[in-house]
Amino acid sequence: MASEEILRAKDESLAHLKSVYRDDAETVIADGRYGFISGLVKDILKKPPVERLTLSDNIDKVVVNRWLGIPLFLALMYLVFQFVFTLSVPFMDGIDQFFGWLGGFASGLSPGWLGSLLADGIIGGVGTVLTFIPPIFLLFIAIAILEDCGYMARAAFVMDQLMHKIGLHGRSFIPMIMGFGCNVPAIMACRTIENPRDRLTTILIIPFMSCGAKLPIFVLLAGAFFTAYQGLVVFSIYIIGVVMAIIMALIFRKSILKGPSSHFVMELPPYRLPTITGVLVHTWEGGRTFLTRAGTIIFIAVVLVWLLGSLPWGVEYASAESVIGRIGSFIAPIFAPAGFGQWQAAVSLLLGFLAKEVVVGTMGAIFAVEEGILGGTLTTQLGWTPLIAFAFMVFCLLYVPCVATIGTIRGETNSWKWTGFAVLYTIVVAWIIATLIFQIGSLSIT
Amino acid sequence: MTKKMTVALAGNPNSGKTTVFNNLTGARQHVGNWPGVTVEKKEGSRSYQGYHIKVVDLPGVYSLTAYSPDEVIARNFIIDEKPGAVVDIVDASNLERNLYLAVQILEMGAPLIIALNMMDIAESRKYRIDVNALSREIGAPVVPMVANRNRGTDELLKEIVKVSEKKTDVADVRIEYGREVENEIAKLEKLISQSPLSVNYSPRWLAVKLLEEDEEILKKFEDMKVG
Repeated sequence: MASEEILRAKDESLAHLKSVYRDDAETVIADGRYGFISGLVKDILKKPPVERLTLSDNIDKVVVNRWLGIPLFLALMYLVFQFVFTLSVPFMDGIDQFFGWLGGFASGLSPGWLGSLLADGIIGGVGTVLTFIPPIFLLFIAIAILEDCGYMARAAFVMDQLMHKIGLHGRSFIPMIMGFGCNVPAIMACRTIENPRDRLTTILIIPFMSCGAKLPIFVLLAGAFFTAYQGLVVFSIYIIGVVMAIIMALIFRKSILKGPSSHFVMELPPYRLPTITGVLVHTWEGGRTFLTRAGTIIFIAVVLVWLLGSLPWGVEYASAESVIGRIGSFIAPIFAPAGFGQWQAAVSLLLGFLAKEVVVGTMGAIFAVEEGILGGTLTTQLGWTPLIAFAFMVFCLLYVPCVATIGTIRGETNSWKWTGFAVLYTIVVAWIIATLIFQIGSLSIT
Repeated sequence: MTKKMTVALAGNPNSGKTTVFNNLTGARQHVGNWPGVTVEKKEGSRSYQGYHIKVVDLPGVYSLTAYSPDEVIARNFIIDEKPGAVVDIVDASNLERNLYLAVQILEMGAPLIIALNMMDIAESRKYRIDVNALSREIGAPVVPMVANRNRGTDELLKEIVKVSEKKTDVADVRIEYGREVENEIAKLEKLISQSPLSVNYSPRWLAVKLLEEDEEILKKFEDMKVG
């Protein structure tokens, strides 16, 4: 039987059913299934006459309350950041001191180029990055606890209305929250979004959700330039990321990805006490990526930086005459309107494309210092002010996703066009916002 | 001589599917990717009553439409690989929603077994489920389980073997969509049963999918038009 005939018969059937039911056949068929099930369940399931409210129901009365839900969510997120930063400081100082001692020991051990490679390059760069193990693991622990106890699903539920306002669905919210850990699994989690336009929009805005690897940049700069308010400053960076994501989603859904958003009943699993094993496993899954990258990509990047900083042989390490200094000087003017037009900043941003932790590692390698005094070095050697530091942080927050994320976007969208678009638009947005912050900030200070 | 068979595990997210998978296969697991996509594919195996049973964990889904890649993967596996049994893990404390997937698997004509999981939670809420009536009315064997305490695994394995040997004594059940829809389904079914697509798919299921304007199935018909 020819397909044409079947398809024509189908169209006739659809038209007929539409005239009878005044509804799509798809809906009528789904109703048929639901009818079958509800009849079946009536026959076989006996529930107690009055269902008493479970503990989960009682907690939900508060947590997903129409008025309390969103403030509670924001308060909880703020607490998470305070918890992460307060608790990680002593650990970070310890690791920092250890690598400071190790660097001194290595350069004393072998003077000449090998000692310089070990102390300035590897220990300076990788050491700086490893200092950030405590905050990253603490952040992953916090996310794991919130997810395992069932709160994340509530957060999505609470945000559902808001998400509909920006043309998305509450379901897009879970991948966005996961983006705080790492963009790669977050973008993969977008598969649960049924509507293809919702899905693509969510994939495109996830890079604005600040991932764990960007955290070292913020912790370093906030610690150096905003000592008293560092928790608040880092929190504000995250908020800027979320706000930008919302704005871009609105723009996309009104322009290139126009169309209705889908509705779907959301699942609220009962609250469960998180198990220690569960939390540890999830934390480790997230943190392991960071560690392996510190051992591979970042290691290669810092050696590369050291090499480029030492060539041509004989120049002062990482000075403006070195190869790296020249590359940086060439692209630096682009960033001048945003306040950080120095070649050192340009080079670290360039290498941050490999992995965001590399931004900090590169600075550590260029200035050949430990994390503890890197902030001071930025002030004395580059003349950075808190405003410049903030503009730089915002640029790092928004600009091009790392290589791994770009690869994932390509895999999930199956399109080079959308991948290229994601790369380009994030750079443009980052540059515009950072420039705005610096320019407006300079006006209001003077 | 050992006989070989494949079992697919389906179920909603949060239905305890992974736990059932672990109970069935123990440590004999293998993780790969579904062809063409980066969705994780878990496989394991188990020997039971002279059978070598390969267990494939399908992505957790609520439905089998063509709207999300996960659903298409689950559906295509059931159609293309024709597993000896499809075990749908159903959350007994949330029957109504979970049965939607079961009904759709049934419509595909797949050899369905319902693993009625989380019976302890249903009991603690004082739900009384008539397991025999459920089995009779839905037309598939039903195995009550508490997977996180490894209860019901053996009964499930027995049922898997029974289903694959076609020794199960449950009568087929068909979901009726009302006279008007049934008339149209019958018309289309008749045309489709003469099409080469009916070799691989149940004609009734294809007819329902056409009326639902399922993108994947529409494409299959359109591709044939060209070819």
